[in-house]
Amino acid sequence: MTRTILDVHVLHTVPPSNLNRDDTGAPKTALYGGARRSRVSSQAWKRATRHAFQELLDPSELGTRTKRVAEFVAERIRDIDDSVSQDEALTLAAGTITAATGSKIEAPKRKKADVEPAAPESSYLMFLSSRQRDALAGIALRGRGDITAFFKDKANKDEARRAADTHHSVDIALFGRMVADGADVNVDAAAQVAHAISVHAVENEADYYTAVDDRRKEEEPGAGMIGTVEFNSATLYRYAALDVDQLRRNLGEGMREDADTTTPVRRAVEAFVRGFVESMPTGKVNTFGNHTLPEAVIVKLRGSRPINFVSAFEEPVVENGGGYLRGASERLAAYIPGIEEAYGADEDTRTWVLRVGPATEALAGLGTAVPARELADSVGAAAAQRQAGDR
Amino acid sequence: MSVLALLLAGPLQSWGSAARFARRTTENAPTKSGVIGLLAAAQGRDRADDLSDLAALRFGVRVDQRGTRLRDYQTAHHQVTEVSMPVSERFYLADAVFVAAVAGDDPLIGELHRAVRKPVYLPYLGRRSCPPARPVDLGEYGESDLEEVLERVPWQAAGWHQRRRRQEPVVTLETFVDATSGDTSPDSLRDAPLSFDPLHRRYALRGVRTGRVQVNNPMARQLPDHDPISPLGGD
Repeated sequence: MTRTILDVHVLHTVPPSNLNRDDTGAPKTALYGGARRSRVSSQAWKRATRHAFQELLDPSELGTRTKRVAEFVAERIRDIDDSVSQDEALTLAAGTITAATGSKIEAPKRKKADVEPAAPESSYLMFLSSRQRDALAGIALRGRGDITAFFKDKANKDEARRAADTHHSVDIALFGRMVADGADVNVDAAAQVAHAISVHAVENEADYYTAVDDRRKEEEPGAGMIGTVEFNSATLYRYAALDVDQLRRNLGEGMREDADTTTPVRRAVEAFVRGFVESMPTGKVNTFGNHTLPEAVIVKLRGSRPINFVSAFEEPVVENGGGYLRGASERLAAYIPGIEEAYGADEDTRTWVLRVGPATEALAGLGTAVPARELADSVGAAAAQRQAGDR
Repeated sequence: MSVLALLLAGPLQSWGSAARFARRTTENAPTKSGVIGLLAAAQGRDRADDLSDLAALRFGVRVDQRGTRLRDYQTAHHQVTEVSMPVSERFYLADAVFVAAVAGDDPLIGELHRAVRKPVYLPYLGRRSCPPARPVDLGEYGESDLEEVLERVPWQAAGWHQRRRRQEPVVTLETFVDATSGDTSPDSLRDAPLSFDPLHRRYALRGVRTGRVQVNNPMARQLPDHDPISPLGGD
C-alpha cells in the first residue's frame, strides 16, 4: 500500500503578544537547545484550527456536540418519516444510541415537580456527524416495530455500532474523539500537532500599566488601577503532520457504492492546511492585536514517515540587526536537503513553498512556489489523487 | 539475538507510568510501555491487539541528555457553551535526548526495524503532541546484547550540550535496563505493558536495574598539559 503522509512547516512571526499563558498569566515557554523559547501549546493551536473550520467548512461536514442526542436523532427520524410521533421517535432514537455507543440515555431528573419531563439525554456530550445522524435515524426506523427486540439481533446492534464509528465529521477525523464510557467508539486522530516554539531565545517582558478613572475627582489623584501584563515577541516554528490514510479511514469510505470517496479526504486536507496555517490562538488578542499571518509555509507530501525540522533551530537563531526570519529561513534551507539526503527522501515526495518577502528568499528553491490562496487546494488535490490511485 | 537502537530526541517528551486524570506526570526516562507502544504503532497494531511478543523483548534506555522538567497548565472550554472544564497539569521533559534499545530474536527485531523506518501510525515521544525531532532509527545490531549496545552507540546529545561539557573527554551516562533474575533488589516501575486495549489497559511491574556507561565526548577539548612552572625556567 502506498502511504500518504503530509507534513506542514510554518515560520510565523508574532509581535509583542501573549497567545497562550500559564497559570501565572505569563506566556508559556520551554527550554530547547539550552535556551529559553517562547512556546504555544499544541492544544491551543488545535483549538484555533478547529475554530477556523467553522469558516472553511459546511456545518454538515462538522459535527454537533450535544447531550441531547436523542432529540437530535429523533428530529431526523421524523424528517424521514413524519408518521412517527415525537414520543415514539425519542424512544427509537434513545434505543438506537444506546445500542450504538453503549451509554445510557435517560431523562434528566428535575427538582421541581411542575416542570414538564425533559427529553432523554446522554450523561456526557456526544459528538455526531451529520452522516452518523442519518445512518442512526435510518437504523432506528427499521426497528420501529419493537426497538428492544430489534437490537437483540447481533447483526442490527453491530450495524448501529458501525454507524457511530465511521463517517466521522472532519474535525473529529482530524483531531480525534474521546468518549467517557464507550472506549470502542473513540477515534484516533489523523493529525499530530507539535507545540510551536520560537526559533530564537526569548525572555518574557512585563508591561506595567495604569488605567485612569474618568469620573475620579481632582482631590483624589492617582490611577484607577494598576497592573502588569507579560508578553514576548517571537518568530515561531510550527509543525504538524497528517496521516492521510488514517484520515480516510476516519472519514469512512463512501456510504453508497457510487459515492465519490476522495471528496471528503480532499475537503478535510484543505481545511486542515488552511486552518492550521492561517489560524491564531485568541489569547490576549484584544490587548496586543497580533493578527499576523505566516511568512513561510512548506508542505510536503510523502510516502514513508513525516519529518519534523525543529532540529534546525536547536541552536537558537541569533539576531543580526534584521530580525530572525532571514536566519530561520537560511537554517531551514540548509537543513531540509541535508536531513532528507542523509535518511533517504522518498522519490515521490512533493513539496510546496509559500513565502513572503525577501527575508525568506533562501526557501525559494525547496519546492513548487505557490500563492496562499492556492496552497490548500493544490495540496488537497494532490493528496486525494494519491489516495484515488491506491485502490 | 539482535538489538534495535532508537533515538528519542525532541523539544518535548512525556513518559507517564502513573499518570491519571488531571495530573499527567512524566518519568525521568522513557518507559517500556511508551517505547513498546511506539514500536507496536509503527507496525500498525491496533490497541487491542496482542503484544506479548513485544512485551517479552528486553528493554533498556540510556540518558544522553537529561533535559529539564516542564509543567504545563492546560485549560479547556466547552466548544459550544464555553464553560470551563477542569484545569489539568501536564508534565514534560524539555530538551532531553535518550537512546532506547530492545533486544530479541533476529526476525522480530528486523521487522521492527523496517516498521520504524516506515511506520503505519505516526510516531511520538510518549504524548501525541511530542513528535520526534530527529530520525528515531539508530540501526540494528546483530548478535549483540542490550548492555553492549548501550555502551557502543555514540553519544547522541546535541552539539551545544557536548560543547558545554567539553572539559570531559569521557562522559558517564545513566542507564535503566530490565532486571534479570540475578539482580538483587532492583527498582520497580509499573510500565511493562500487558494490553493497550482502551477498555482495560493493563501494566505489570517491571524490575529496573540502574547502571552507568561511559562514552566519548566528540567535542572534548584537547588541552595541552597544564604546567605553569616550566615557562618560568626553573629546574
